[in-house]
Amino acid sequence: MTMGHVTELLSAYLDERVGADERARIVAHLNACESCRAHLESLRRTVVMLHTAEPVRAPEGFRAQVRARIEAQPRRAPRALHLPRWIGSWRTAGAAVAVVLIGLFTVNLLREQFPSVALRRDREPQGAVPAPLPPSASVDRAARAPELSAPQAGGFPVPGRVGAPPIPAPYSPGEPALRRVIRTASVMLEVDNLNETASRLTRIVEAAGGFIADSSYAQAGSTPEGTFVLRVPAPRFADVLSQVESLGHVQQRRISGQDVTEEYVDLRSRIRNLERYEQRLLALVDRAAKVSDLLEIEQELARVRGEIEMLTGRARYLDRQVDLAMIQVSAREQTTQSGGFWDFSGTLTKIQTAFLLTIRQILRAAEAMVVALSALVPVLALAGIVWLVVRRVRLARGV
Amino acid sequence: MTEGTARVSEEADLIASSVAGDLDAYDRLVGRYQDRVYQVAYRITGNHEDAWDAAQETFLHAFRSLPRFRGASAFSTWVHRIATNAALDMIRRRPPQPPASLEGVTVSTGDDPAEAATRSELQRRIHRAIISLPAEQRVVVVLRDVQGLPYDEIATALRIPPGTVRSRLSRGRESLRQQLADLAPAAGS
Repeated sequence: MTMGHVTELLSAYLDERVGADERARIVAHLNACESCRAHLESLRRTVVMLHTAEPVRAPEGFRAQVRARIEAQPRRAPRALHLPRWIGSWRTAGAAVAVVLIGLFTVNLLREQFPSVALRRDREPQGAVPAPLPPSASVDRAARAPELSAPQAGGFPVPGRVGAPPIPAPYSPGEPALRRVIRTASVMLEVDNLNETASRLTRIVEAAGGFIADSSYAQAGSTPEGTFVLRVPAPRFADVLSQVESLGHVQQRRISGQDVTEEYVDLRSRIRNLERYEQRLLALVDRAAKVSDLLEIEQELARVRGEIEMLTGRARYLDRQVDLAMIQVSAREQTTQSGGFWDFSGTLTKIQTAFLLTIRQILRAAEAMVVALSALVPVLALAGIVWLVVRRVRLARGV
Repeated sequence: MTEGTARVSEEADLIASSVAGDLDAYDRLVGRYQDRVYQVAYRITGNHEDAWDAAQETFLHAFRSLPRFRGASAFSTWVHRIATNAALDMIRRRPPQPPASLEGVTVSTGDDPAEAATRSELQRRIHRAIISLPAEQRVVVVLRDVQGLPYDEIATALRIPPGTVRSRLSRGRESLRQQLADLAPAAGS
């Protein structure tokens, strides 16, 4: 019989550690094979004999020596016991490290993405307001009004003292309120509905205390266009501009500030000089003895008066320009489908736009992935090192 | 059942206290396991001198590693693993020595000197047979037939597959059977 085949299984058979198939085979074989039965019996006796091997006990003093040796060890017990407890589980430590790294990575990535948004948002108003306009421009001038020596009611502010005519208004950079800037902006908008835009523009301007100086409407081709000239108080300029721009899609924007401070100051001093000259002429009138002299003086007075009026008018004009900023808005309705049967070029444009948009999105996604991967590289390297160290430590400890 | 559970939970308490640095608790753990550990060490190394060293090493190492014991296996399995490794280390370091006598450890159970002598002789034969096995078979035989650990725990303690435990045990037992063949019938009859 094939005795050798079952002998190897007998040991496991004794311990009931054989599978059902093996068991069936062994049982069948044992029934048939005398020598295997004997073998099994002999093996069983051997095992029983091993079981009856007299238990060996730890000798006297063994336990005491263990204790003595542990106590003799450098008392690093608390550290050795607490530290591993804490970091103990490598899995916990690894998870903690992973969480920290992922957190850092996420923050980095967000920072990478966010500033672009934030900057873009910041940049817009900055572009809209080239120089922060001191809202107190007119107020400041009013405050200085008492200093005026100008006789005219509603006269012009004189920035400087009336002492040094040639060098008027010593301008100090610390007082930007004295700067006189004429602000103008022109905006080209694409809007959904021109009529609605017009009424909303009116509302915006009126709320800001301004007015619409001019408005026109034209329909060239298929797209109706409207042009509006808004005048708003200078301090509200930026505010109104941003409101206007929110009405539609800005296609073009131009903002300019014309600094007329110098011209203004020059005007003021010339007016003042002329007024003094007028005073002197008036004094001469009283003393004039001859009629011819008187006539000459009167003529000169009229000329001076006229010049003063002219200059004053110019100064007033500048004042108004400075006080009321101008915003020119040209609004155009969005190109809707032209009346024809099929707007072929429109479709073509849409196709092109969609095509480019998709390509741009794909490129952007690819870029984002590359950026993310490159951001991950150091993390992966670090993780690899940590893993290697952990593995070495674990191997070294043999736990 | 309840007694066993209580014992396990008491053991868990002892382990926790030992980890916290309570030497008395660890001393009690040592008391609980010293015989088993010593026996493994003795059966594997084959002599008392090495067994003592290996068993001492086992408990010192266990104390140091206790904080890392996470209860993935039973504490006794864990201790057996450390003891086995310590004993095998000892064999590797010191070449096998002629088996020492069992004098001094044999517990005399009977008054009859003749019977005691027979028993002593039997024990010596068994021990010598175990020592003669190759180390890898010896370890499995000791853990299974002397210590009475189940296959699974042996596999866990030695970190080998259960199938390997089975085959090594089979070869070890067969070898023992042949060596002790003359005693077996006597023991059986």
